[in-house]
Amino acid sequence: MSTKPDMIQKCLWLEFLVGLFIAGTLSLDCNLLNVHLRRVTWQNLRLLSMSNSFPIECLRENVAFELPQEFLQYTQPMKRDMRKAFHEMSLQAFNIFSQHTFKSTWKEKHLKQIQIGLDQQAEYLNQCLEERGNENEIMKEMKVDEMKPSEARVPHPSNLELRRYFNRIDNFLKEKKYSDCAWEIVRVEIRKCLYYIYKFAALLRSK
Amino acid sequence: RMVALLGAMTLVLVAVAPWVLPVAAGGKNLKSYQKVEVDIIDDNFILQWNRSDESLRSVTFSFDYQKSGTDNWIQLPGCQNITSTKCNFSSVKLNVYEEIKLRIRAEKENTSSWYEVDPFTPYNKAQIGPPEVHLEAEDKAIMINISPPGTKNSVMWALDGSGFRYSLVIWKNSSSGEEEIENIYSIHKIYKLLPETTYCLKVKAALPMAWKVGIYGPVYCIKTTAFLKRNPVNHSYKWKQMPNCENVKTTQCVFPQNIFPKGIYFLRVQASDGNNTSFWSEEIKFDTEIQAFLLPPVLKVRSTSDSLHIYIGAPEQSGSKPVNQDYPLTYEIIFWENTSNAERKIFKEKTDFIVPNLKPLTVYCVKARAHTMDEKWNKSSAFGDVVFVKTKPGNASNIWLIAGIGTISITILAVIYVVKVLLRCINYVFFPSLKPSSNIDEYFSEQPLKNLLLSTSEEQIEKCFIIENISTIATVEETNQTDEDHKKYSSQNCQDSGNYSNEDESESKTSEELQQDFV
Repeated sequence: MSTKPDMIQKCLWLEFLVGLFIAGTLSLDCNLLNVHLRRVTWQNLRLLSMSNSFPIECLRENVAFELPQEFLQYTQPMKRDMRKAFHEMSLQAFNIFSQHTFKSTWKEKHLKQIQIGLDQQAEYLNQCLEERGNENEIMKEMKVDEMKPSEARVPHPSNLELRRYFNRIDNFLKEKKYSDCAWEIVRVEIRKCLYYIYKFAALLRSK
Repeated sequence: RMVALLGAMTLVLVAVAPWVLPVAAGGKNLKSYQKVEVDIIDDNFILQWNRSDESLRSVTFSFDYQKSGTDNWIQLPGCQNITSTKCNFSSVKLNVYEEIKLRIRAEKENTSSWYEVDPFTPYNKAQIGPPEVHLEAEDKAIMINISPPGTKNSVMWALDGSGFRYSLVIWKNSSSGEEEIENIYSIHKIYKLLPETTYCLKVKAALPMAWKVGIYGPVYCIKTTAFLKRNPVNHSYKWKQMPNCENVKTTQCVFPQNIFPKGIYFLRVQASDGNNTSFWSEEIKFDTEIQAFLLPPVLKVRSTSDSLHIYIGAPEQSGSKPVNQDYPLTYEIIFWENTSNAERKIFKEKTDFIVPNLKPLTVYCVKARAHTMDEKWNKSSAFGDVVFVKTKPGNASNIWLIAGIGTISITILAVIYVVKVLLRCINYVFFPSLKPSSNIDEYFSEQPLKNLLLSTSEEQIEKCFIIENISTIATVEETNQTDEDHKKYSSQNCQDSGNYSNEDESESKTSEELQQDFV
């Protein structure tokens, strides 16, 4: 009689171990990708920091874009949201550097490298978004959602804080007519964003 | 008549009353709006007018908006007194991520009514319109070029340029089966089609990150060309020629590693026989980071008598500093005795370990390579250089070693002792001490004799002087002493050297013997 709860305990313990093992093998893929993510983010940060001399005359035009701070607090349950936010951040940064009106204060090659790097970064961040965060998964879910009548559909309002922030940057560039100073200021701002992404990627190591 | 007219007018007024609201320029007195629905597709507000089509004729609309928190209504340019229910606001510097209020005035003949929409955030409410599609046909493939919805200066999708994903439905014009292709990018190629067949497709856009799906656009149809026709128009779409891989005659091509910056690339291949050129092959994705070569690891081996202590180091790499340490790798180590061919293989994840149970005084050969522990990209490095190492002599020899060390230390001690003794001897012989032993002090208490014995330097000298002839004075000195004072010695101390030679000798001998006794 007294052995039964022991047996149950043993079984649970075994299940737990098996679960851990499975989780361990599944996350192998993401471990490797996280290594690449760290490397790529570091490279991007270095690329943006290359031309370090910020022209003094541009200091006058400096404006605070107010990067939203909420998702920068790293806590374990928030990790997925952070990853999602940083994925969006990478895409937005890529967007900014793909604007054609970018004058050649940098060399053409430099710009290409940063675009490629940001694309890679976004890709790696996206691939390991578990559950419903991954782009592919979202597309599948949206398809299922479409079948439902419009009343049953769940609205998914976007996290607009990040978008408002990048909108400010975009408007700033347009207002200043993509001047050299404006680009310098934006470069510094994006560097700040990349720094946060790098810190996040570094934290992923300590699982 | 007047009354009838008045009555009719009031009747008309009463009839029209539900639609009539006080219209003021500032709009502050407007009350009791009727709610209405507005859809947003790309950069357009589309009014959902729930009356019958009959009443839509000759109605003009005007759109105003108000930022939440402000009081004034702003007129939307290009949307004043228009006849369509669609208002394009892309010319306005509208912040689509902030909440706004919208009101629409519907004017028909002389009456107007205001409709207000509940406050909303345009971006959240917006739907994605149909994208623009451009098609090109090959023999067995169709190339699709999709432009994102909205115009290039779209306000709504300004920040979403690279976030769009598309899906399409394609079917043969002649048959009914349709195929859906999902989650594609703006430039996509569909392969494995039949030549000279008409295909039709429709495309819709989506923004996964914003959880939005658009509506399908119109249907486009195109016919694939005949078999293996040369592609006349060269659409490079920023494809670049791979160096070292142009017009190669083999099916392999090696391109240098540092040509492109690191990143994700697509590769494609084309064949030609001089006259005809094929279409481009399917494109494969290539990630330089993930699919690059793994460099072989560096081995350091230390040996003991029965084991090898192996250290695996990272290969020399330029640049890339901070992350190489925690790359998850498994190492495969192969080692064998130099004289035999039997190889032993072990797998380790640690970079520092010991291989035990080996034979002493044997030469072993060791080589290693690295594997990534990834399911998708199963990548291995080549083997590194072979390291030759000889194990140390065994335990029995160790005892001899200890014994040897022991004897050596003992001999050293012995040698030291012997040297010490020798030094003492030498000191005694060559550097005797000047102090007499205590025996002498007992026997010779007389001071002058003592002095005589002690002053050995003086004892050796005996001077004789003969002063005989007045005419000739000869001084005979038996000693080397040239001191003038000794001339005055009395002649009692010495004899004539010729006559008393024996005595002289005996005397001197006695003095010598005396000296010797006390050495």
